[in-house]
Amino acid sequence: MTHTPLHHFSAAQLRDSFVKGEFTAVSIAEYFLKRIEQHNQQLGAFLSILGPRMLLKAEALDRKRAHNKPLGRLAGVPVAIKDNMHIAEEITSCGSKFLNNYRAPFEATAVRLLEEEDALITGKTNLDEFAMGSSNEHSAYFNAHNPWDLSCTPGGSSGGSAAAVAARLSLIATGSDTGGSIRQPAGFCGVVGYKPTYGRVSRYGLVAFGSSLDQIGPFATRVEDIALAMESIGRHCPFDSTSLDFPPESYHLQANLKNIKIGIPRHFLENLKPEAKIHFEDNLQILRSLGASTIDIDLDILKYSIAVYYILATAEASTNLARFDGIRYGMRAKDAKTLDEIYELSRKEGFGREVKKRIMLGTYVLSAGYQDAFYKKAQKVRTLIIEAFDKAFAICDAVAMPVAPSSAFPLKSISDPLEMYLQDIFTIPANLAGLPAISVPSGFDSRQMPLGLQLIGPQMCDVPLVQYAHAFEQATQFTRKIPPLFDGLNS
Amino acid sequence: MKTLPHELWEPVIGLEIHVQLNTKSKLFSSAANRFGDEPNTNISVVCTGQPGALPILNKEAVRKAVQFGLSIGSKISLVSKFDRKSYFYPDCPRNFQITQFERPIVVGGTVTAFVEGTPKIFHVNRAHLEDDAGMLKHFTTFAGVDFNRAGAPLIEIVSEPCIHSAKEASAYAAAVRAIMLYLDASDGNMEEGSLRMDVNISVRPQGSTELRPRIEIKNMNSFSFLEAAIESETKRQIALYSKEPHRPPEEIIIPGTYRWDPEKKETTLMRRKESADDYRYFPEPDLVPVVLNQNYIDEIRSSLPELPQDRYNRYLEQLELTPYSASLLINDKPLCDYFEETLKIYPNARQLCNWITVEFTGRLKERGQTLLSIGILPAHVAKLLAMIDSQLITGRIAKQVADDMVASPGLDPEIIVKKNPDYLPVTDTSEIEPIVDEVLAANPQSILDYKAGREKAFAFLVGQVMKLTRGKASPAIVNELILKKIKSTNP
Repeated sequence: MTHTPLHHFSAAQLRDSFVKGEFTAVSIAEYFLKRIEQHNQQLGAFLSILGPRMLLKAEALDRKRAHNKPLGRLAGVPVAIKDNMHIAEEITSCGSKFLNNYRAPFEATAVRLLEEEDALITGKTNLDEFAMGSSNEHSAYFNAHNPWDLSCTPGGSSGGSAAAVAARLSLIATGSDTGGSIRQPAGFCGVVGYKPTYGRVSRYGLVAFGSSLDQIGPFATRVEDIALAMESIGRHCPFDSTSLDFPPESYHLQANLKNIKIGIPRHFLENLKPEAKIHFEDNLQILRSLGASTIDIDLDILKYSIAVYYILATAEASTNLARFDGIRYGMRAKDAKTLDEIYELSRKEGFGREVKKRIMLGTYVLSAGYQDAFYKKAQKVRTLIIEAFDKAFAICDAVAMPVAPSSAFPLKSISDPLEMYLQDIFTIPANLAGLPAISVPSGFDSRQMPLGLQLIGPQMCDVPLVQYAHAFEQATQFTRKIPPLFDGLNS
Repeated sequence: MKTLPHELWEPVIGLEIHVQLNTKSKLFSSAANRFGDEPNTNISVVCTGQPGALPILNKEAVRKAVQFGLSIGSKISLVSKFDRKSYFYPDCPRNFQITQFERPIVVGGTVTAFVEGTPKIFHVNRAHLEDDAGMLKHFTTFAGVDFNRAGAPLIEIVSEPCIHSAKEASAYAAAVRAIMLYLDASDGNMEEGSLRMDVNISVRPQGSTELRPRIEIKNMNSFSFLEAAIESETKRQIALYSKEPHRPPEEIIIPGTYRWDPEKKETTLMRRKESADDYRYFPEPDLVPVVLNQNYIDEIRSSLPELPQDRYNRYLEQLELTPYSASLLINDKPLCDYFEETLKIYPNARQLCNWITVEFTGRLKERGQTLLSIGILPAHVAKLLAMIDSQLITGRIAKQVADDMVASPGLDPEIIVKKNPDYLPVTDTSEIEPIVDEVLAANPQSILDYKAGREKAFAFLVGQVMKLTRGKASPAIVNELILKKIKSTNP
């Protein structure tokens, strides 16, 4: 084991090795900090690196182990946090200039739980500003890059987290998923990304984008590590009213899909490009080889998902982001002289284009005279989408879809916003219906870029869904591949 | 239309009363709900609108809202929910208020109020929960915000437009306040802003059922301001209509928001309605609907305390107070409780009520005090009245003793009387007898009247004697002497 470089370990393996005493936590921390230092410049995955903090924690863990005190589920595992979740006392920038000086006054529940499980928190990862985007190009700081091809996007909005895990700068990272912000970058970077059932992970301390859609979830290099992370953070939280009040679940993973019915919304997937279509059919074949059967289901209504999503998410965002006003924290425009100028100039200078666009769109769809045509109608369609899924799950255990229409695209190659929004066509439905959905690496395309398979389950069926993904992963082993740029001899 | 005299116009008034609930913590956070502390000490991440903070509904506030609803015979919504109301202002930490717009917790109901002693029923449209804003403090070169009040629980009680005079409005508001105090749901402290009123007001010709354009007067925290504002606004609108009797009302009264200027004694325009009022209400996604079950409601119903209306009925039926006296008492909860307390040791309710509501209240009003605030004990009031009954002192002396009790609160009236020889009744028959003789000699007709069965004549004679003795003669001895002397005179 000791010959294997640490970044080849799964989180579970690394934890076990640390607990057994094969490595000290400090050596693990130093190893991964060195990797981050070496690679972050070219990758842009981290907005801030919490080295001293991580080393302190590592020393504490080594003491804990020396004193034979019980160690957490994630003891010694390097975990990165998306920079829209609070680590108390640290900057939470949300990838925005507005919050470049904002120190979190409290700890997000998910972060607290990771800390309690003795994770080593490496840093805060890059994202599209306020999690609005599908390419990470809307980060106010710098681009994150795809570890498989640095000229490509890692996806978004949790692009930094996906890139950090794919490049093995951390073994686990948190993301937030409002319309695909975990699953799409996971797919683009060839790692596993999981969006749990809405309410499974507390949103307390996550800077809200679309509150009814936002859900925190993990990235990892293996499905078993997703399970480990979920056992840690999938807990009821009294500070989030929408948190599910159920006991935490344990994940017993098994590697077959006997008697499992996978629903395929064939008609909805009709317009897939040929390469993507063939790849998806191959994936289905693998699922069947594991004992699953596939059946056609009708989810045609999902073609309205993007329209519904861009009304509801922006409506919620327009009010969630109203608090960024220059009065109490964050950016205040220097030239502002009146109250109105504080509002207008601080927001003008502090927010990027995409954020402004979405605030304006959300404000518009909620305005008097337009609510019925937009917001209320979108709510009705959302209900129909939920019902369509209910109907589908009456006859199947999970729905399979691609994660995104294509593999990662080159940075700056998509300038049409509608084309960019179409990136989320397959991921948005799970957010609208609050469903658990997982993105698992499913191979590579002709450009040698990773592709992902998405499995969507009924609400609350987090454990079975992760199991199905595990079976697929065990059969395919695509998760073992590490981007060559980050796995050289000196890396 | 020809010009109508002032008294032929009728105001149509609807009241929105915001009552601060006296819960321990705020409506959506665990910060203390307390007035008067150092600025920004009773705050949490929720009340200052920190990103990532989430609201958690205070169950105690829900309970108090349900108590109020049941007290006025409302329908309690088994499912109610919260909405975001968007507006930018520095005292509003998220730049949206969380309120119940679409589905309030309390629907309908009636409040009985005493308009100058006469009971009248007022209809409530709805009551809903919402959070209060912070308070702006203006300094010479800047303004600051105190968030101690931000997030304090309010119940907003919206009446139907069923109020037709200033007196009715203040009577209704006082009755609502009394109910809140009886429920111990609010401290009802007007000066501290625990009860604030918005008035919607229009006028119309008497007998008409039309509703003319109305204006809103915002944020009054005293019943006398409320009355003055309504009087003044009514006059203003009538004057405007009278000036241009042929012009359509819509062109004369332009809807707008006004405030009452107590110095100028007039309503002044803050802003026109049409430009400002798009609050973009939509469901608050961070809170789940408030779902109540019938058992919970029944349990609250069965544990309601005695309410003002119940007390009023009891005072009329069991204590035989006049409706006017009873109405004076019940609207003033602390005084009414004082009355109850004293009644336990001094059972003559009518006498007690008169002394409390007229004699003492009259003496204390000019000092801005009450029996409670000045510290006169119920036992002392009871003693004073008992001394009158046992004819230890006369009623006239008792009033002087009351003056002394007000001047030096806490002094026992027995001691006051003992220490002042002037207060002790003259019991020496030899001193009184000549005066009785004098009075009888001067009023032979009264003697005849008394003998013919007119009790009043006797009282007159007693009164004459008391007058001549400056109230100091012992009434018992005076009675006895007069009776004896009348009997001994020949018919």
